Amino acid sequence: MEKMPEMIYLDNAATTFPKPREVLQRMIDLYAAKGVSPGRGAYDCAQEADELVYGVRKRLCLFFGGDDPDRVIFASNATDALNLVIQGAVKPGGHVVSSQLEHNSVLRPLQHLRESGRIDYDLIPFDGQGFVDPDDVSRAIRPQTQLVVLTHASNVLGTIQPIEEIGAVCRRHGVPLILDAAQSAGVVPIDISTWGVSALAFTGHKSLLGPTGIGGLVLRRDFDIQSTRFGGTGIDSQDLFHTQTYPHRLEAGTLNILGIIGLSAALDYLAAQGMEAILQKERALARKLWEGLAELKRVKLYGGAFWDRRVGVVLSNIEDMLPADVGAILDGDFNIATRVGLHCAPLVHRSLGTGRAGGVRFSVGPFNTPEEIDRACEAMEKIARIRRT
Amino acid sequence: MGLDETGPGTAKTGGDSVQVRSLGGREVHFDSEGFLVDASQWSEEMTEQLAREMGISSLRETHWRVIRFIREYYLENGRAPLHRELKKGVGMTLMEIEDLFPGGIKMGARLLAGLPNPKSCGM
Repeated sequence: MEKMPEMIYLDNAATTFPKPREVLQRMIDLYAAKGVSPGRGAYDCAQEADELVYGVRKRLCLFFGGDDPDRVIFASNATDALNLVIQGAVKPGGHVVSSQLEHNSVLRPLQHLRESGRIDYDLIPFDGQGFVDPDDVSRAIRPQTQLVVLTHASNVLGTIQPIEEIGAVCRRHGVPLILDAAQSAGVVPIDISTWGVSALAFTGHKSLLGPTGIGGLVLRRDFDIQSTRFGGTGIDSQDLFHTQTYPHRLEAGTLNILGIIGLSAALDYLAAQGMEAILQKERALARKLWEGLAELKRVKLYGGAFWDRRVGVVLSNIEDMLPADVGAILDGDFNIATRVGLHCAPLVHRSLGTGRAGGVRFSVGPFNTPEEIDRACEAMEKIARIRRT
Repeated sequence: MGLDETGPGTAKTGGDSVQVRSLGGREVHFDSEGFLVDASQWSEEMTEQLAREMGISSLRETHWRVIRFIREYYLENGRAPLHRELKKGVGMTLMEIEDLFPGGIKMGARLLAGLPNPKSCGM
């Protein structure tokens, strides 16, 4: 049997891989030198670790256009941050507007709150190209609406939503807008202050190019949420009530300092490479893939080809073949890693008519090459010949 | 091979719809996609019958090589073989396996090998 070629990794929307060597090396070096519990001990190294953490809060605040570094809250990932903001912001009897484009990281907390009788929610649709209409958001807002929660870039279709326009709608109605930036943070420029976003949830391990296990929430000054987790904060230890000043109000327990160092190193890497350059590279690769797949018989593509409003995600299917089988063949015969199935976004697939088996998602990253895209297209062409009648 | 079969019945277990069929004189439980609920209920006779329902008139040696490899691997390791293990184990590409079974790899080979339905939405 012939030797398999090097793996082509096209699952960057799940997590970017590989991580930049510089990021990994910096994590090892700094964690070895400063990996103590930040702010908890009466020794210089703990103080230095605390300053390191605060420095990363400041950088993230600036990166996302926030207005207070103390309101950069560390969490495990975007799902964790979304739970924190959704559960901490809604009040009994409230209503939330979201969309059918959402990941389960939004849908499941909302469903849990509805099932427990605390809130109700409505999900606005998306159009045939994969975009929500700001007017639909406006129409869905009721007097009881406490939040609008939307994804910035769809993890299934890659479409970037018109958040600035939706932010204007939310401001007009006086409803906070929560942005799920899991698929956009690190590759699409974001400015929550200008856009009228009250809180942004991000994860470190996707386009930010950091490690898994670290993410967070960036809150605007005029948007308060309640604590939903409680414990040690390193301050006010005499008080049995959880500290209510930010960021401690929303953090409990020892911080993931290794992950925070990773985020810091990743921000350095992005600054050196240029986020815009990465975005344009990924868009060019995704467009090449799209155009290559569009020429193939039996291959179906989803969403509109608007490359100035997409991240590097391409959803496809081969007629009369299960996406699970296509993904298995891509991996087993061609050493190409993709993500198949529902992508934790069941309502997107239901709307697309792929609610049962889903699709084959290719997602490019900064380390993919045009040659790899050619190989992916060639592989799909061969797979699409199976059982061709 | 004369497997008798009564009409399918349905039951609900743990929120999943379970189809109960009488195959070869005993009750066999399948999930809503046709996978065995209990892998130990698998038999060669049942597999021949399920294959006919898939449009394979008679399972050939190549079919059995794939089915037996997947099944034996599962019984030994508690999971389905990795893609590269499957290729090496049966000496075929995954495209060839896909082509061999009308239902493909998952709904053909894996199902006939009597493995449980993978819970991951990706498989």
